[in-house]
Amino acid sequence: MKKSLHNSNNVADTLGIEIGQFASQEIHRRSFLKLTGMTAVGMVIGIRTAVAAADEKIFEPNAFINIRSDGRIILFSKNPEIGQGIKTALPQLLAEELEVDWTQIEVQQGMLDARFGSQFAGGSTGIKTNFDQVRRAGAAAREMLVEAAARMWQVSLDVCYAHAGMVIRKDTQARLTYAELADRASRLPVRENPVLKDKKDFTIIGQPIPGVDNHQIVTGRVEFGLDARPKGMSVAVIERCPFFGGKVKRVDDAAALRVRGVEKVIIIEATKNPTQLVAGVAVVAKDTWSAMKGRKALVVEWEMPEGTVESDDALKQQFEKNIAGEGQVVREDGNVMEAFASCKKVHEATFEAPFLAHAPMEPQNYIADVQADKAELWGPTQVPGSVRARAAEITGLPPNKISVRMTRVGGGFGRRLMADYACEAIFLSKALSKPVQVVWTREDDVQHDFYRPAGLFRIKAGLDENNRLKAWHIKATTTSRYTFSGSSSPSYQTEVFPDGFPAGFVSHFKMEYTAASSLVPRGAWRAPGHNITAWIDQCFVDEMAHLAGKDPVDFRLELLGQEDKVMPYSDHGGPVYHTRRLKQVIRTAAEKSGWYQPAPKGVFRGFAAHFMFGAYIAEVVNVSIPDPQSVKVERVVAVADCGLVINRSNALNQLEGGIIDGLSSALNQAVHIDKGRAVSSNFDDYKLLRIKDAPIIDVHLIDSDENPEGMGEMTLPPLAAALSNAIFAATGKRIHKLPILPLERSST
Amino acid sequence: MPVFSLNINNQSVSVDADADTPLLWVLRDSLELKGTKFGCGKSQCGACTVHLNGNAVRSCSLPVAAATKGKITTIEGLSRDGSHPLQKAWMELDVPQCGYCQAGQIMSAAALLSKKPHPTDSEIDTAMSGNLCRCGTYLRIRKAIHTAAGKEGKS
Repeated sequence: MKKSLHNSNNVADTLGIEIGQFASQEIHRRSFLKLTGMTAVGMVIGIRTAVAAADEKIFEPNAFINIRSDGRIILFSKNPEIGQGIKTALPQLLAEELEVDWTQIEVQQGMLDARFGSQFAGGSTGIKTNFDQVRRAGAAAREMLVEAAARMWQVSLDVCYAHAGMVIRKDTQARLTYAELADRASRLPVRENPVLKDKKDFTIIGQPIPGVDNHQIVTGRVEFGLDARPKGMSVAVIERCPFFGGKVKRVDDAAALRVRGVEKVIIIEATKNPTQLVAGVAVVAKDTWSAMKGRKALVVEWEMPEGTVESDDALKQQFEKNIAGEGQVVREDGNVMEAFASCKKVHEATFEAPFLAHAPMEPQNYIADVQADKAELWGPTQVPGSVRARAAEITGLPPNKISVRMTRVGGGFGRRLMADYACEAIFLSKALSKPVQVVWTREDDVQHDFYRPAGLFRIKAGLDENNRLKAWHIKATTTSRYTFSGSSSPSYQTEVFPDGFPAGFVSHFKMEYTAASSLVPRGAWRAPGHNITAWIDQCFVDEMAHLAGKDPVDFRLELLGQEDKVMPYSDHGGPVYHTRRLKQVIRTAAEKSGWYQPAPKGVFRGFAAHFMFGAYIAEVVNVSIPDPQSVKVERVVAVADCGLVINRSNALNQLEGGIIDGLSSALNQAVHIDKGRAVSSNFDDYKLLRIKDAPIIDVHLIDSDENPEGMGEMTLPPLAAALSNAIFAATGKRIHKLPILPLERSST
Repeated sequence: MPVFSLNINNQSVSVDADADTPLLWVLRDSLELKGTKFGCGKSQCGACTVHLNGNAVRSCSLPVAAATKGKITTIEGLSRDGSHPLQKAWMELDVPQCGYCQAGQIMSAAALLSKKPHPTDSEIDTAMSGNLCRCGTYLRIRKAIHTAAGKEGKS
């Protein structure tokens, strides 16, 4: 991948998110904008809105804003909407600086368009990396509208100000609407360095504005990928090789072709890169059910890959061998071996975490219409740029002949950072020269995911004579997602975090990592890496607090120290973190949960805190144990410092959702592998939390003017630890294996 | 191909389909009523929930041949313009995240309210536990049902 010029692209690089080689070459140049602006926006608008009337004047200072002389003010959201609320939040930033009332605007999804800069949904970066750029787009438009009015009135700029979609003249109170100014403003040079509003003057940023698509959602009219229907479209359902890394050996498609509605059967060969195409047999039909029936009628013989047959047991053996040996040392402070010899108490535990599927509610699907000279692509993706890059490779078309339209996405969680299912649609459409929609069933989704890496972790730690943490030695082995995708990033990155707490607070600290080899596909799963490391670190800190005879909250605060420190942090969310902010969420969570008061009878509590992606979270989980095999989660208190909050309603929704997902995965989820394939297949054996098991959740946001951080991933990682620690408080047994249920398999 | 007569959202329609075609795919592919969602194909997630004679049913597991003797209501027929109390409560409380499951959630909740106008938390939990929300909006769903029922209280 070429070195990017966009700061936001660098974020994608550090997260290992491939957003498309073309996107990273895109340079936002004014001259380019001026030459191509109208054409490109014509394309953006053309899809969704009526073509402007001939005498319509349009003020379109950048790709984000479109103000028309008929009074319409259209704001474009550039990133995919996967449920994180970006389609409401980015326009809030625009509207704030543009000085319009929220009720005056309409919001549309932007297409993939170089003028927007990077466009992807990942790493909880949508707001933090675009906060300035998007506000500047709004402010530039506002300044140009004010200038247009000042010229009309022939007064100086400081006599005019913008408010509620109008420019107002201070001395006479005369007003001109943005619609009236559109024509004149469009003839002014684009403002390069507009002045942004002071945070204290925000009226739209911070407000709990409901999602812009809510009405469409509750009436069933919003378009997800699966709902798009280009004319003449066929539907493809693919029988993929159940064995990871396997091939098609023989196909008998006679019965499938006899199924009414089936049009064609096509063999798909795996690409060398396992993140693109896997081996399979596609049944193409006139509609979805015919394609599904056709697939059932296929008789396929598969060829398994050579080497070890993948299974939970084989992987466990490899993990154990790895942590018994020496790994790559990714951090070493002091000398742990010598320190252990002089420790008063030493304790060791081994933690085991399984593969997880993403299982977004909308199954994978994608539409491609590949023609001789162009291609149109639709569907749910977190990485439209990557989809276009793959399409260019598969079709041989130049990227500027490939348009990518983003539908609303029925959940992402990291699954749709992969473009595999889009590759299938592109490949089939090219082969058939017609629009094809690839539809996955839930079984396809659970069995052909890019799973959260599985891993085994051994931690040994020691206390000195004052029961203070003196040494910490962690040996980790996981099925690294970077090893799987062939990334140039080191295998350990985003699997373990050398700068994460308690590193930096223990004089003798060592972290070793060994990548395990496996053909089981892996990818980024909500809060990549952190979704395991926060669990093991925060569980083991709790174990050491118990060994020290200290309160778990006090023990953490003692480790962090009285003095406020700025700690280096080399992973995403860095380059530093502040112990002041971490201590604040810890203390606030203790206070809001009544930590220092006795728990109600029969209720047991656990604590955890974590820093990730720039945000600080502390959580307290209350449980009861109705019978020896189960656990009831009664209440979760969470305190989050995510900097400035853009939309309070969505922020709370995201943070609560992360907690539910944390419970879901910690309690019940694992994808099991046996005989070279995934065993789990649907929601009956890959269980999501249901409403009856949803606890009371109290989320508290720390008031902050710090730069905004993401909201989508942060509450998940500490949840499993707080829950495991609560179960220990209740049962005296430590959870060392996920998932937690049934209890007799996870606790020691 | 056999022709089936259906009553959907108070309209009579005829569709050509194999008898085993799930109602879900008749709605989505033949009738372009795409508010009803495909999630699991085996009655595990509730994204495809519609009403058959006022009862919440999973259209992914209901063959079209079994749906001819009754009135079918989909999310598109719940109200003309999003004015059902549940739809209004869903918007007011900003329930959705990705939104994919929400039509099914609302259809299950509507069937509940038609039988129990003022459900308790535990009645809500029982009626709604067939509907998964991967984004985890359950607390807002519970609250929205209470809001639509005209009370904030719980059991």
